[in-house]
Amino acid sequence: MMTPQEEQEKLLEEALTVVRTQSFQMKRCLDKSKLMDGLKHASNMLSELRTSLLSPKSYYELYMAISDELCHLETYLLDEFSKGRKVTDLYELVQYAGNIIPRLYLLITVGVVYIKSNELSRKDILKDLVEMCRGVQHPLRGLFLRNYLLQCTKNVLPDAEEDAEGGEVSVMSHAAPRAIAGLNKMVNSSDADAGTVRDSIDFIQLNFAEMNKLWVRMQHQGHSRDREKREQERRELRILVGTNLVRLSQLECVDVEKYKKLVLPGVLEQVVSCKDAIAQEYLMECVIQVFPDEYHLQTLNSFLQACADLHPDVNVKNVIIALIDRLAQFSHKGDVARTIPTEIQLFDIFSQQISLIIQNRPDMPPEDIVSLQVALINLALKCYPTKLDYVDKVLETTEEIFHRLNLDHLNASGAVSRELMRLMKIPVDNYNNVLELLKLEHYGPLMEYFDYQARKSMSIHLILNALENETSIPSPEQVEGILSLVGPLIQDQTDQPEKEDEEDFVEEQGYMGRFIQLLSGATTDQQYLILNTARKHFGNGGNRRIRHTLPAIVFAAYRLALKYYEFREEDEKWEKKCQKIFQFCHQTIGALIKAELAELPLRLFLQGALVISQMEFENHETVAYEFMSQAFTLYEDEISDSKAQLAAITLIISTFEKISCFGEESHEPLRTQCALAASKLLKKPDQCRGVTTCSHMFWSGKSRDGGGKEMRDGKRVMECLKKAGRIANQCMDKSVQVQLYVEILNSHIYFYEKGCSEIQITTLNELIAKIQEDIPNLESNDESDQINKHFANTIAHLKLAKQQSSPNYSYAGLDV
Amino acid sequence: MSFLFGPTVDIDIILNGQEARKMVEMKVDDGKKESCYLYYDGETVAGKVNLTLRRPGTKIDHQGIKIEFIGQIELFGDRSNRHEFTSLVRELARTGELSQNTSYDFEFVQVEKPYESYAGTNVCLQYFLRVTVVKRLSNLVKELPLAVHTLARYPETNSSIKMEVGIEDCLHIEFEYNKSKYHLRDVVVGKIYFLLVRIKIKHMEIQINRKETTGSVWTEEFCTPVSRGPNALNENETITKYEIMDGLPVRGESIPIRLFLSGYDLTPTMRDVNKKFSVRYYINLVLVDEEDRRYFKQQEITLFRKAEKQKRTVPNSFPFKSSSPQGTNILTNTSDASEEKSDD
Repeated sequence: MMTPQEEQEKLLEEALTVVRTQSFQMKRCLDKSKLMDGLKHASNMLSELRTSLLSPKSYYELYMAISDELCHLETYLLDEFSKGRKVTDLYELVQYAGNIIPRLYLLITVGVVYIKSNELSRKDILKDLVEMCRGVQHPLRGLFLRNYLLQCTKNVLPDAEEDAEGGEVSVMSHAAPRAIAGLNKMVNSSDADAGTVRDSIDFIQLNFAEMNKLWVRMQHQGHSRDREKREQERRELRILVGTNLVRLSQLECVDVEKYKKLVLPGVLEQVVSCKDAIAQEYLMECVIQVFPDEYHLQTLNSFLQACADLHPDVNVKNVIIALIDRLAQFSHKGDVARTIPTEIQLFDIFSQQISLIIQNRPDMPPEDIVSLQVALINLALKCYPTKLDYVDKVLETTEEIFHRLNLDHLNASGAVSRELMRLMKIPVDNYNNVLELLKLEHYGPLMEYFDYQARKSMSIHLILNALENETSIPSPEQVEGILSLVGPLIQDQTDQPEKEDEEDFVEEQGYMGRFIQLLSGATTDQQYLILNTARKHFGNGGNRRIRHTLPAIVFAAYRLALKYYEFREEDEKWEKKCQKIFQFCHQTIGALIKAELAELPLRLFLQGALVISQMEFENHETVAYEFMSQAFTLYEDEISDSKAQLAAITLIISTFEKISCFGEESHEPLRTQCALAASKLLKKPDQCRGVTTCSHMFWSGKSRDGGGKEMRDGKRVMECLKKAGRIANQCMDKSVQVQLYVEILNSHIYFYEKGCSEIQITTLNELIAKIQEDIPNLESNDESDQINKHFANTIAHLKLAKQQSSPNYSYAGLDV
Repeated sequence: MSFLFGPTVDIDIILNGQEARKMVEMKVDDGKKESCYLYYDGETVAGKVNLTLRRPGTKIDHQGIKIEFIGQIELFGDRSNRHEFTSLVRELARTGELSQNTSYDFEFVQVEKPYESYAGTNVCLQYFLRVTVVKRLSNLVKELPLAVHTLARYPETNSSIKMEVGIEDCLHIEFEYNKSKYHLRDVVVGKIYFLLVRIKIKHMEIQINRKETTGSVWTEEFCTPVSRGPNALNENETITKYEIMDGLPVRGESIPIRLFLSGYDLTPTMRDVNKKFSVRYYINLVLVDEEDRRYFKQQEITLFRKAEKQKRTVPNSFPFKSSSPQGTNILTNTSDASEEKSDD
């Protein structure tokens, strides 16, 4: 048993063998100028096309092989004709073939040769050929026959304008045969003319209508169980039918007017009346693709009306979308900027027709409806980029439809939601400016139809768009608007799931932090209002969110304060305003404290103190003091982990060291407090390092009373270092102890080189000796390697410094 | 024997202007074909008879020499029934002696040739000239067959054939042939219009059939089966089968017909020629379904011969489009198509 496919191959091979034999004979006869015998072999070859056994695919291959061979015949005949060896009545002669398939193929071949050798006959011949093809009613054979007709006449179709005065109407379609039979006589008669584009249109449209009928008929022949196979076969054959439309579009004399009056109505009538979904869907798309945009623009209404009349099974959405996409590209194509003619209300037409179609098709799935709106919004954006109301109109319509269909909480993974998301993202990606979205009245309300997941993902899309485009948000209203749109990123939602991926959450909140950087009011006052608005929204974010968002606001506020200071000449109220800003910051940081955060507010306070110290507004010392003391409070009350404590106190000390605005009465308690805190650290190494750090406070710290100069209190420095040394001495762990010694040595060197006279070379020598003594006793491991290296580097530095004399210090007497 | 008693004279008939005369192929006895000079009704047949002695110097006695112009109908299978409908004689010489090569002129002025030459299956109508040298024992005879074509004028009325036929609830079709009378180089143009199709038609063809009837007078006008006379002999022959449709049409389809006649071996329609025979032609429309059942409808057409030179004056438009009242009379005759079991 052979599989169906093997059987097809075998049948095809047999047929091709006959074709090869017969075409060989045909050519031999033609070479010997035996035309009649040649035609007989051609007819034998063509008889293979009478088969009913081949699948469309195999039949196509057979057809191709034969049509190649027929080319040879055509070339031969043309050659003979051009030499003047005209065969009288050849057109009649081939009609004696008893079987219709070979007869018509030969008739077409000969007819085209006649046309090519004498154009004047072509009008009648074309008419005759297309009429005679009616004899083949078998779908497959008929389709290929007519395709052959189309293929052969490709370059000979009349394409001239109609005569103004001529305007003759074609009445005789069937009455021509005598004239055709005696064609050679006919060409002399006055009737003969080469035809006009009108004749070509008639010719192609008739052929198109007949082919389409045959194609549609395939659907209804054979068993219903083979339906799928049949539809597949039909799809394989569709290009044959579509070629007619391609031919129509290739006629140069078909201008907009002719297209509107002659071509399109005929095509649409055929498409609509055939009532076949496959044909309608394909042919409508075909029309869209093969004819130029300018034509579509002039015929939108009739085309779209036809769409509304299509079979319910036709996916009319695809057709319309194809058309819209095509037109949407229209003004963007090519070098020449083309615009939609103003008299064509493209958007309104589509909008109306689409809503008509939606009305007519109550079964249309909502996602398809949304897809149509997607196309419409694309059109609005591409063709009318300045018309925001068009876009909004689409959103409004969509909202109405959703409302009518009672859709809500669209599942993010559902088809409708996906389409809607596509719809909503288009304006975002198109404007690349989130501020434009705020002008769309229905954007926000439409957002509400999504479920949480979808809303969030839309929000992220929006925010990322703003970030990528660095869209500045210049007014509080706009901040308000945008933050209202992206609710799921701002605060908890009623439909929020219990658990969310923590990593994603952090990332999203990170985006929001970055977004805050985009807030930039046109004026400083404006910016203040903006920050207040933002603060209000973000403040509702709950403890999980504010840690990511409020710091950004605080920093933005600090920047704003500096700006006020920078332009203090221009604004006499700047001091008040700055105070207000710092109050705002204080309060904002307070919110973070309430969220049980400690290190973050501490840092923000310290940062604030630093900012304040740079600007001399009224009371600024008090405010700075408040910030510092808040930091201390947090340090004392909230930070309990020893490591964190060391880090915090180090931060406090270094911040304090930088601040120069304090008078002695504030400076003194603060620095004492720092020293105290450092020495109260729990672990000895921490104490040691804290105290060492304190030494800097006494050296390069500044108070207002000192005129902003560094204190350079060598005595206190020395005390600190000594104390550090003592604490190090108490360490039990040898390697930590040596490490600390090395660090203390480094501090000594630092201050020595800075010119601290209290430090003696002998002290250095003692330290070095002590370290050198201890190092060999350390166990050899990574840690001791580290220490060794640190020490060696220190010594290397000292050796170098000893050789190079410096005006500030001398290492004479140092034992290295 | 033949050497001794064979003809000693060669008889040749030379027709006047024969070089210019048209010749046509004619079937003569035993199916052989021969080229014959072509004459029309009323044309004078003239020429000369040359008698050539085989052996110069010899003498031949004869009891007279004559030439006859004969038109005869011969029914095969009935040798005795050879009927001469025309027989004209011209005496060329009285009893005497032929001693040298001699030529005799002859002329049959404006001979009536009422029928067309025909060579069919059972009947043959032929014209010939016969020269006879009458002798005591056996006459010397020479015959020269002539071809005769009868020309007809273009008929004054030539309505189309239009008819609606079918099988109830299965198949209704309407067919139209543009004329009822065709000349031999004519084209049959027509169309088949499908009004109802409930059978699975595979293809459709038209046939040209010839019916030759001999032995009985035939006056029936229609193509319904004929009651034959006691000696009637019908011979049917399909001249051509011509496929005009491939595949199954749907309601509303209109299929064109165009059949050129000049390529086939046709004669004019002959009705009741000399009360001896008739030759009639039919167009038979045959539909074949997927089980090879054949449905057909036969219509007689009249064929006639038209003078060559008149050909160009034939008007270029045909009365095809206008349906004649004759057609509508039998329009309702929808159960007329007969079903015929396929023979093969």
